[in-house]
Amino acid sequence: MSDASREILLSARDVRKTYRMGRVDVPVLKGASLEVEAGEWIAVLGASGSGKSTLLHLLGDLDQADPGGGEIRFAGRHVIQNSQRARNRYRNRSIGFVFQFYHLLPELNVLENTLLPALVGLSRLGYYAQRSELRSTARELLESFGLGHRLKHRPRELSGGERQRVAIARALMNKPTVLLADEPTGNLDEETGKGILDLLAEQHASGLTIVMVTHDPDIAARADRVVTLHDGRVVE
Amino acid sequence: MYHALLTNRYLTTRVIPLIAVAAVALCVALVIIVVSVMTGFLNMVKDSGRTLMGDVVVAYPISGIPYYDRLIERVEALEEAEAATPVVDSWGLMKMPYPDGPRKQTATVQIWGVDPESFARVTGYDETLYWRTLPDEEWQRRLDVAVSELWDELREQTERLGRVDDRPLVAKRGDDARTKLLDLMPRRQDGPQSLPESTPDLRENLRGLVGDDLWEYLVSLEPRLANLDQAYADGLSLHDRGRDRPGIVIGIEVSEGNERMPDGSYRPMRRGYWWMPQFEIVLTMVPIGVGGGLLEPESRFFRITNEFVSGVYLIDSKRVMIPIGIAQEMLQLDEAQLVDDEGQVTGIEPPRATMILIRAADGVTPEALRDKVSEVYRAFCTELANDESVPLSVLPPPEELGVTVLTWLQQQAQFIGPIEKERELMRTLFSLVYLVCAGLVLAIFWAIVYEKTRDIGILRSIGASRLGISWIFLRYGLVVGVLGSIVGLGLAYLIVHNINTIHTALGQPPLWLAVVLAAMALLALIATIVRSISGRLLPLVLGALITLTLIVLASLIYVLRSQGGVVIWDPTVYYFTEIPNELDLGSAWITMIGAVVFSLIGAFLPAAKAADTDPVKALRYE
Repeated sequence: MSDASREILLSARDVRKTYRMGRVDVPVLKGASLEVEAGEWIAVLGASGSGKSTLLHLLGDLDQADPGGGEIRFAGRHVIQNSQRARNRYRNRSIGFVFQFYHLLPELNVLENTLLPALVGLSRLGYYAQRSELRSTARELLESFGLGHRLKHRPRELSGGERQRVAIARALMNKPTVLLADEPTGNLDEETGKGILDLLAEQHASGLTIVMVTHDPDIAARADRVVTLHDGRVVE
Repeated sequence: MYHALLTNRYLTTRVIPLIAVAAVALCVALVIIVVSVMTGFLNMVKDSGRTLMGDVVVAYPISGIPYYDRLIERVEALEEAEAATPVVDSWGLMKMPYPDGPRKQTATVQIWGVDPESFARVTGYDETLYWRTLPDEEWQRRLDVAVSELWDELREQTERLGRVDDRPLVAKRGDDARTKLLDLMPRRQDGPQSLPESTPDLRENLRGLVGDDLWEYLVSLEPRLANLDQAYADGLSLHDRGRDRPGIVIGIEVSEGNERMPDGSYRPMRRGYWWMPQFEIVLTMVPIGVGGGLLEPESRFFRITNEFVSGVYLIDSKRVMIPIGIAQEMLQLDEAQLVDDEGQVTGIEPPRATMILIRAADGVTPEALRDKVSEVYRAFCTELANDESVPLSVLPPPEELGVTVLTWLQQQAQFIGPIEKERELMRTLFSLVYLVCAGLVLAIFWAIVYEKTRDIGILRSIGASRLGISWIFLRYGLVVGVLGSIVGLGLAYLIVHNINTIHTALGQPPLWLAVVLAAMALLALIATIVRSISGRLLPLVLGALITLTLIVLASLIYVLRSQGGVVIWDPTVYYFTEIPNELDLGSAWITMIGAVVFSLIGAFLPAAKAADTDPVKALRYE
């Protein structure tokens, strides 16, 4: 476990989550606990269907645990006890999601996709007040990811690796504290996947906290610390 | 902020929302067109009804208002009133000048005894006279038709009589006119007898063709051939100057003498009575006694001096105008001596009028004038009651005891009411297309939300709220509604503005269009065959559909043409020559707002569904 002097940024304590498949209740998480320290890169390793993604969704408040089934805390605060507005803000500002299938909006170009979290988080006036600043932030991010020549392209015109870079740029747009990555290389070939992991490592080096779930031990090895999700519980 | 961007992109990157906009536009255009045409129709009926009505009507049916000249004097002294005129109205029988033979047809007519001069000032009666001097070309055209019909008739008669060669028989029947015609008419072998239609002045041509003797005879039959202005003048004065007889002016549809053409103009129709204003008719009216019983009917001869067109079928087919003095005599509403039981003359009963028609001064509403006239009528009653020379028995009743003071609109309510109701019914029925609008938007947006489920998950994952998500789709519905309404308004404007041209083109579709369509069908057929060689089904189905549509359109045009075209807006039914082509802006606004509201209603459900989408499931959705 952690040293008392170190700061726990994000934690799951004894979290339970059950899905209903038809008439059968399928328990996915059966009391999973995880503590993520600030600035840590943690990998959650687990077989397909072990509940890794579910744990990630719970941490990012995209999904809720069973009633009375544990708690998720961010910077000491109980996430789901916050107001709806504060929870939306949590997803918008504190968390950045990266998905296996990139999940870019096909109608928007690369720059617009990257800007999307800023657009969601700001009112019209707020956006126009900081428009040029935000656009240059997005552009710089994309340029640093080697996508400077792709700003006006639509996602369908990009390769898988490029799409994932755009997705990471989007996740970083609002300068979140934690990046939640769900099999970020799962849909990419090894070489491209390595590029993405290098990129994550760079961000980690500059202080970003990362929680990454994967089924691949080799990829998990890139993290500071690896935990395994087994039978609905987290094992060190 | 992201809503605008996404709405914009969802709208411009796919075809479905454009179909939704087109559907809304069609719905809006449909309602606006129907209501505009109905409103235009209603306005035309109102205007034409007003033509022979004035703005305010004081009426005391059957008994009539005594001392009406004093009332008129008082009314005309009002600043609000331009002019006033007395009318005596009743129903009567009119013996028609046809058919040939002793048994003539009789029609029930509404008889208005009028003072033509003041009647024209109040109602614009002079503008409704059909046989008139203005405009010159129009008068010339109508007369030319009449002359050429007369010519045909004369020739047919002489040829028939010439063939039978039985002049003594004709003479024995007393048909002097025919015998004389036979004598004067040039024989077939004498030279050309057809009347060239291209001649600018048919009368001159006829004169040259028939020779002076026959021309003089024709003019004696029909003096207006020599003097174009006389029919109009006689119609205006209700007096046949030529024969010094009281004149009658009849509605254009009262007799069978005129036929309404598809273009809405009239032409003299039956041979033998080709022009109504040449005949004499007998009018019979029944006066009603003080006790309410019928008195001895009275019949008189009148010369038809002209005909009038008000544009309202109920008036044109029933009403005739005669001089007011004669109407008063026939209905015993004229001046009479009051006699007591012993036969002593006790006083003079004044002439009466059953209606006073009043025209408002410029800028005065009929309602304002009506209120003033009501006051004047009360003052008039008081004045008569205080006047000792007025016998008690002839005092007019106060307003609301038989006497009414109404605006023209109230007076015409029986004509206008049903059309107003009909318009509202049409508006209501056609407003059902709003539901179509809402249903379409609902279905289309449901599909869009379904398709966009993953986007919704993504947006939720980066912090978008439920309301924010639903606002994307509501906004989307708003844009579709507003765009559709604007496009619909434009479409409706184009169609309503050109409705008569479109109507004519529909009635007589050009042949070249059929040829072009057939050629396009052939091309489509060839393209379909070529494209479907690959074995794919879509080009085959699409091509077959297009080919079939083109063939159907082309053959429809062909059939329409071979049937002589169709007339949807038949002037013989609607009584107006043109379809109203003014956009009813008030209704257009209501329709547009309705379309926007119903588009929003259609978008509500999909928006709510989008807001409730579970982001985790949405992200798994592939």
